[in-house]
Amino acid sequence: MSGLIPLTIRDLKRWYRNPVSAVVGVIQPIFWIVLFGSAFDITRFGVSSTTFFEGAPDYITYLMGGILTIIGLFTGMFSGVNIIWDRRLGILQRFLIAPINRASIVFSRILSSVARISVQIMILFAVAFVIPNGLKIVNGFTLMDGVILVSAVFMVSFIFSSFFSILAVRMTRMESVFGIVNLINLPLMFASYAMFPPDLMAPWLSHVAKYNPVSWSAQSIRMVLIHGTLTASEAHTVLIYMLGLLALALFMLVITYIISNREIRE
Amino acid sequence: MDNSIEIESLTKVYNGKFKAVDDVSLKIGRGKIYGLLGQNGAGKTTLIKMLTGVIKPTSGTAMIAGLDLNKDALKIRRITGVVPQEYTTDGDLSGKENLKLVADLYDVPRKDAEERIETLLRMVDLYDVKDRYASAYSGGMRKRLELVCGLMNTPEVLFLDEPTLGLDVTTRENLWSYIRSFEREFHITIILTSHYLDEVDSLANELSIMDHGKIIVSGTSSDLKKSLKGDTITLKLKNDDEFKIVQNFKEAIEVKKMELGDIRIKVNNSDVVLPELMKYLSDHKISPQSINVRKPSLDEVFIEYTGRNINAEQSGKDYEKLMTMGRGAK
Repeated sequence: MSGLIPLTIRDLKRWYRNPVSAVVGVIQPIFWIVLFGSAFDITRFGVSSTTFFEGAPDYITYLMGGILTIIGLFTGMFSGVNIIWDRRLGILQRFLIAPINRASIVFSRILSSVARISVQIMILFAVAFVIPNGLKIVNGFTLMDGVILVSAVFMVSFIFSSFFSILAVRMTRMESVFGIVNLINLPLMFASYAMFPPDLMAPWLSHVAKYNPVSWSAQSIRMVLIHGTLTASEAHTVLIYMLGLLALALFMLVITYIISNREIRE
Repeated sequence: MDNSIEIESLTKVYNGKFKAVDDVSLKIGRGKIYGLLGQNGAGKTTLIKMLTGVIKPTSGTAMIAGLDLNKDALKIRRITGVVPQEYTTDGDLSGKENLKLVADLYDVPRKDAEERIETLLRMVDLYDVKDRYASAYSGGMRKRLELVCGLMNTPEVLFLDEPTLGLDVTTRENLWSYIRSFEREFHITIILTSHYLDEVDSLANELSIMDHGKIIVSGTSSDLKKSLKGDTITLKLKNDDEFKIVQNFKEAIEVKKMELGDIRIKVNNSDVVLPELMKYLSDHKISPQSINVRKPSLDEVFIEYTGRNINAEQSGKDYEKLMTMGRGAK
């Protein structure tokens, strides 16, 4: 796709040269893990974490899958904002007059979001291991587990950054994107298994959460982090979730390509 | 004649109602600077955006360097350079990085790109500040960077859309000399849109006046001035009765009432006719509120063909546009 690499490099340059966004990107995962991870210390009530949190030795270990997914979700959601920003600055016009595939304007944002998430994942893991009562890998972690973890976060990020980039293809107001992000991030987060196990939820919410891709990613990562080598039935569940994410990501890829090529406006 | 651009009935209609460009046909010769003169909203930028593939025409077509706009839009983008009205360079990248990005978007081979970046930056005196972020450039420097971004792919046709909008007089004249040097050094066709009469008069070999989306008249600046056939005396009168009296002034070739109420009297030689007109007015007890005498100029050409002064309501619109650019720049 012509134009994809130079536009992605340009986007990443803007990111690491902007100290505020770079620092926020680093601090945000730390807040999540340190603050939210410590919010539910159920051991104080004499309840075992393993029974409550699907075999996880503590809530932080349980929460990691959810936080990794949410970081992917949030970073993806805001990739559309940059397209609108470029439109307002006039820079988008420079790309529209260039002989490039116009879908690369959108896909470069998605690709740079995925690259930024990689940095955040590394920071998150480092912090989760270091803090007291933090992440505990008790059943080992294989290369395949790593592939599942990274692919799940990347796919969630891709799905949502595609969705929001499509919205931004013709939008001119930042406020509109922020409004939509605010409107749907809460239901996406809480109508999912990102924070809490299905057994703790109201049955109707648990049922809804079953169809939320955020749940698919959070549960897949959680299972490989908690169980290490998976049993046949666990592997089957993870495979179903990952195939669901892949199908949705491929669908978004095609839709984003078609819409961004046809509809992107100055 | 060897034409670089041939436009055939190009039309752009917005929302099924508003005709921004209305059935424009035009032939532009190779290797010239061609001016499109008109007020803001005349349709110049829309025409440029259609010719550069940014927006699709509602109907009509154009051939640019032998390529069909409706079939070869991508190829046309490859051989044209554009300097849009707004800043399109990225303030968070240095001058050199901006040019490198443009080179990459046009697939300019790395070695050629480096040489060209240096040549172009030296040409517009930005080489010494090439590593400074574009956001730290002055308005004139930023515009010079925009100009050379349009040349990075060595285009056959360069579109300059209001290249000196909002710049001070010295910077504008400075930019004009760069534009002339581009034509000289690269032998390219330059299409220049502007609402500054002096800019088009000074730079363009030929020009068209656009108004309400249409081409009103085309030709060289001197031919258009000659077409006025005389000088113009403009009077501001008190009422229609006085206008009727002035209509009977024998030396007048033509007497017209303009949109804003001014009376325009076309005469052969104002130096001779003005004293006679003053006597005629005095004899009929008419004392005009103002009198203005003008020799043929592009300003007069514009008024003659559009019925309006190009600067009417212009300053407010310029201010509005500058505010938009300012918001964009930061």
